[in-house]
Amino acid sequence: MSLRTTRSRGSAARGAPRSTGAPGEPDTPGATGTPPTARNRAPRAGRRGEGAWGWLFVSPMVIILGLFLVLPILMALWVSLLHWDGQSNPFGGQADFVGLDNYRALLTQDGLDRTLFATSLRNNAYYVLLTVPLQTLLALGLALIVNQKVLRARGALRTTFFFPSVTSSIAVSTVFLFLFQGSGAVNSLLSWIGVKGPNWFADPRGVLSLILGDLGIVDPEKPAGALANHSFMGLSWFEWLSGPSVAMCTIILLAVWTTSGTFMLIFLAALQDIPRELEEAAALEGVNRRQLLRYVTLPALRPVLFLVLTLGLISTWQVFDQVYVMGQGAPGNTTLTPAFLSYSSGFDNADFGQGSAIAFILLALILCLTVLQRWVLRERGERTGRKR
Amino acid sequence: MVTRTAVAALATCAALLAATGCSSSFDSGKEPDQDKAAKQKLTVLIATSGDAETQAVKAATAAYAKESGNSVTVEIAKDMNQQLGQAFAGHKPPDVFYVNSDQFANYAKGGSLYPYGDQISDADDFSEQLRTSFSYDGKLVCLPKDTSTLGLAINTDLWKKAGLTEKDYPKDWDQLKTVAAKLTGGGVTGLVTSDEFQRLGVFMKEAGGWITDADQKKMTADSAANVRGLTYVQSLLKSGSMKFAKQVDTSWGGEALGKGKAAMTIEGNWLDGGMKLDYPDVDYAIAPLPAGPAGQGTLAYSNCWGVAQDSKHRAAGVDLVKYLTSAKQQNTFADAFGVMPSRTSALTTYAEKHPAAKAWVDGSAYAQGPVTIAGFDKVLSQFNTDLQSLRTADPKKILADLQRNGEQAIAKGN
Amino acid sequence: MTATATTEDRRAARTRRKAARSAARPVLPRFPSPARVLGYTLVVGVGLLYLLPFAIQLVTGFKTDPDAASHPLSLLPATPTTAAYQRLFGLSESAQGVPFLRWLSNSAFVAVVVTAGRVLFDSMAGYALARLRFRGRSVLFGFVLAVMAVPGVALLIPKFLVLNTFGIFDTYTAMIVPLLVDAAGIFIMKQFFESVPREVEEAARVDGAGVFRIFWSVVLPMARPALITLTILSFQGSWNEFTHFLVATQSGQYETLTTGLARFVSGGLGGGTQYPLKLAAALLSTLPVAALFFCFQRYFVNGANSGAVKE
Repeated sequence: MSLRTTRSRGSAARGAPRSTGAPGEPDTPGATGTPPTARNRAPRAGRRGEGAWGWLFVSPMVIILGLFLVLPILMALWVSLLHWDGQSNPFGGQADFVGLDNYRALLTQDGLDRTLFATSLRNNAYYVLLTVPLQTLLALGLALIVNQKVLRARGALRTTFFFPSVTSSIAVSTVFLFLFQGSGAVNSLLSWIGVKGPNWFADPRGVLSLILGDLGIVDPEKPAGALANHSFMGLSWFEWLSGPSVAMCTIILLAVWTTSGTFMLIFLAALQDIPRELEEAAALEGVNRRQLLRYVTLPALRPVLFLVLTLGLISTWQVFDQVYVMGQGAPGNTTLTPAFLSYSSGFDNADFGQGSAIAFILLALILCLTVLQRWVLRERGERTGRKR
Repeated sequence: MVTRTAVAALATCAALLAATGCSSSFDSGKEPDQDKAAKQKLTVLIATSGDAETQAVKAATAAYAKESGNSVTVEIAKDMNQQLGQAFAGHKPPDVFYVNSDQFANYAKGGSLYPYGDQISDADDFSEQLRTSFSYDGKLVCLPKDTSTLGLAINTDLWKKAGLTEKDYPKDWDQLKTVAAKLTGGGVTGLVTSDEFQRLGVFMKEAGGWITDADQKKMTADSAANVRGLTYVQSLLKSGSMKFAKQVDTSWGGEALGKGKAAMTIEGNWLDGGMKLDYPDVDYAIAPLPAGPAGQGTLAYSNCWGVAQDSKHRAAGVDLVKYLTSAKQQNTFADAFGVMPSRTSALTTYAEKHPAAKAWVDGSAYAQGPVTIAGFDKVLSQFNTDLQSLRTADPKKILADLQRNGEQAIAKGN
Repeated sequence: MTATATTEDRRAARTRRKAARSAARPVLPRFPSPARVLGYTLVVGVGLLYLLPFAIQLVTGFKTDPDAASHPLSLLPATPTTAAYQRLFGLSESAQGVPFLRWLSNSAFVAVVVTAGRVLFDSMAGYALARLRFRGRSVLFGFVLAVMAVPGVALLIPKFLVLNTFGIFDTYTAMIVPLLVDAAGIFIMKQFFESVPREVEEAARVDGAGVFRIFWSVVLPMARPALITLTILSFQGSWNEFTHFLVATQSGQYETLTTGLARFVSGGLGGGTQYPLKLAAALLSTLPVAALFFCFQRYFVNGANSGAVKE
């Protein structure tokens, strides 16, 4: 009974011009703005206790998030200013306070730390550059397929595409490790069509440099000229531009394969929200399928497309599990990512200060992307909201 | 906005105060209370090469437990470095454990290892280069568990096919160059090794150089001798008579040797186990590595038996290590999973039992021990990354980078 | 759009869509039959790409080591064997280093406790943020939103520092407590509670019910669909959790399916060894979530769409 009430209210809410992308807005009685009627209607009795109850209800959240999220960030901020090997008490003054040295070593000082950090940034940048467009396109394609009303077994297909997304990243990485072995399933498949697959996880050569090498533009084994002579953050231009390594490509494939299902669902929900009248009107005008896609469907999907792109952008900078299982940086540091570098600086090389500094740079990067996303989504949300 | 910041700041300050006030886990200056009980419970963490090693260690600790009355649990680490690193930082280490030479200095510098070297009366029995590797601040910290050295492994069938005899086993660099060229062809490469300094380093050593000076205080990577060593390797690579294992679609030298893709490779005594398991039909012989301009040279590898500084059972731990490193026990391990004893006395027995391993045994007399400097793990892995392009790159540049990175790491460490 | 939709909104929308769908035909005429054949082939091909890895995983678990190495693609084991599974369940001697049952029980224990905790604490916090009036509420909600943006992997070393400082590193406490609350769950619950009509609560309040009573016996029972979504997401999340357990524990006795398997797989760089065992372990570790997935798929779908606001 009560459920029914909720539902009808829910659909009413949906029909109403509700502004998109404003999840941040609590239905704020008591806050600034017009006081809602509910407040006036509410009996005065019980009001007083509510504040205490409210704090009681949120106290587990405040304590746990405070202790295990805010406090760690502050502690790490402190540790990132220390030279601390993980043995003494970092708050007892035994560890050397080195100021911004850890950050300097990563960003400005010529040396191994900067080379490694630059390498990890390069690797992750290529990972992002390939994964985000591929997974978005694939997810959109899958959503369009599953949304085909004439297609049989759509439910089964949707289940199939979505399933990899719910499994544990460790388990699927294990599977991929087996599939992409030197003499593994993927290379046997490739040999059927006469292609000799590479030794995936042992191949540190950059894909871009291989392609350019095949075209005869550069010699990947001996780059010359400006590419070799100029460098940025300790890596030569050639190293920056040589593309993701073959080993990194397997991780990219894995990421695309696992995440496309989730994004497909987001696209699917949006596709099903496109008003049918719009499509029917277009059909009456005699458009063909491609035109329908080009002029009706895709424009309607634009906000969701942006959402998916930014979600992808944010999550791909955090790749860690797959790297841990599939490469740990090998071969030749080409699967090293900032997240893994931070972890291994701390736990493998006992340099927690350095590790924390890397974590902070990564945190700042991701937070910037998130702020960008929320800002743009809010803008867009208001605009589309007005249009509706 | 102002209130939010204020609330957050207040809350976190309070939490921070509370946190540091009761930070029990970081008090490292404090000595752990030693367990005085007659029967102690020891935990041993090992990284195993396979079931054979696990069984052998378990059998040995069980025998010790019976003899001493202490009880011993053996745990198998899957990722030794990370597990130990976390355990030390978390102050919950196992009592006795393998220490990888790459990580030794990091642990020793952090004070995680209980230096028990002075309690070992016959420490001189362990080979000197290994004692140097496992010493920190001039004190022997832990005892080498076993040892392995590198030799030149030769596929005897391919050798004969090329019309060569045992007399042609190369004695110096020129001969190596000649036979490697002779053996190359028809899908066979004369010499195949992994593309890492753990193999190619032998040429630096043979040329009279090494990454650091003898007491690991100074970098000597950019010395002329090292350049000479790597330039020689480069010339072999350029001629095509030497290739890296990956270039012939194998993951290490032993695989290349077993698959008949390499006539020679540079590997240690673990090769025996691998060949027995994967390529039991391939015949091979072990020769000493050819001498360079500065005479013979090879590299030695080892783990050591660490006892934790934070252990409550240090005395019992040292006792266990003494038992496990006894000459008798080392030979039992050698039989069980093919390592060489690190005691000179036990090594003699080993050489008598395994005549085919003579080149490896002899090598320990002139071998270079592993580099053990704090923070050097990443320096050396970067060196390996650079070595992958040795065929085309400038050896001087590679060594100069190593010199610079190493100097920075040493500076940071002190 | 999906961003603001609560579970209920979406359910309602779906019912509406279902009705619309069954009533109408496709907008455009059907494809001509050659195109249809081609289309179906393509779709089946893509479907296979998603299924084949799991099929190979399943089959390889029943192969012998050499068989798996030499015929990685064959979907029929040359000599079928259950050796891998026997090892995993400790039925054969050589279960060295793969204490699968311990991993399984750790995973199950942690996942159950974390799920229970999240369902309770998230809905309490969600309710308070949606309905109760108290000073600092909007600040707290801003805090929740900010927390959702913090990436977990940037907190690996920081979390270790805190757990170590509290002296709970390498304990069940360290594994469980930090996971007991998650911001995304609070957000889902808050959105849901906001869609519950106030009149119900007002009625209960007039009857003299206290805040906790209203929450516990009036509002919470109405929140069943949201609670199920939250339960499933929490279980899936904690079962698949890796990074937190990696930095919160060290010794073998606290290994879960994820940390145990990851260390086993990445540590054993012996090249192509023991793949049947590894794949069987990986398969078994996905089974519980897979079972949940096939039974409660629509809640996963809800979760995926609320994931749209997660970051």
